[in-house]
Amino acid sequence: MANLETGLAMINVLFFGRLGDFAKQVPSTIEASTPAEIRDLLAADFPELVRELNQPQVLVSVNKMIVGWDQPLFDGCEVAFLPPVTGG
Amino acid sequence: MTDRIRIQEQDFDLAEEYQLLRQTDSAVGAVVTFSGLVRDFEVSAEGAGSVMNSIDSLSLQHYPGMTESLLEKIVEQANQRWNLIATTVIHRVGDLAPKDQIVLVGVASQHRADAFEAAQFLMDYLKTQATFWKSVKRNGEQQWIESKASDQQAAARWDGSDDK
Repeated sequence: MANLETGLAMINVLFFGRLGDFAKQVPSTIEASTPAEIRDLLAADFPELVRELNQPQVLVSVNKMIVGWDQPLFDGCEVAFLPPVTGG
Repeated sequence: MTDRIRIQEQDFDLAEEYQLLRQTDSAVGAVVTFSGLVRDFEVSAEGAGSVMNSIDSLSLQHYPGMTESLLEKIVEQANQRWNLIATTVIHRVGDLAPKDQIVLVGVASQHRADAFEAAQFLMDYLKTQATFWKSVKRNGEQQWIESKASDQQAAARWDGSDDK
């Protein structure tokens, strides 16, 4: 449920690849209005993770579409942080 | 166009996939297949040079839902650039051992140039755009594989040139 007082949405967050190693203690839902805000909220408790998130090659997706870090988020959005891919 | 895209833990049968491509249509005059295997070593950058490390096993993670739609887009782009009759992309996920098959790209077309080029394009784009992440185990320790500049360069050669 959205927080009516703050207008912030509850967001489901996912971390893939090496980011997952630094994000094991991160809660699976976070209240935030943009992906950039999620990153900022994590800075105090997860400095190593945020250092990784700040790498320029890291992409962010909302509901499985690549977006910018300032993409507005809505209740129930799925935000994923994606390090450079290495398939094939 | 007959497109098959699968992400799966289980192995695939190259001969079976080849037959499916071959039998799609009697206009098929060329089938190109590429299969990628797990090597028993990984080359990693270290300082100015690179080192070769042996590995015990490899593990592949992906982003369910997103990977499928990205692969669909890549196959769609190949269909726009080349004259293709059928395309197969199979990518395995989960734990794999050296010599295991990881990936299959198969393309059927009327003429060989379309199949050869599209197969390379599909692999180059798959490696740089689809949401898969590899990690390796070495002496019991897990390590994520770094993306390679050479893969980015290989994909970049298809940019902006509609060389048909």
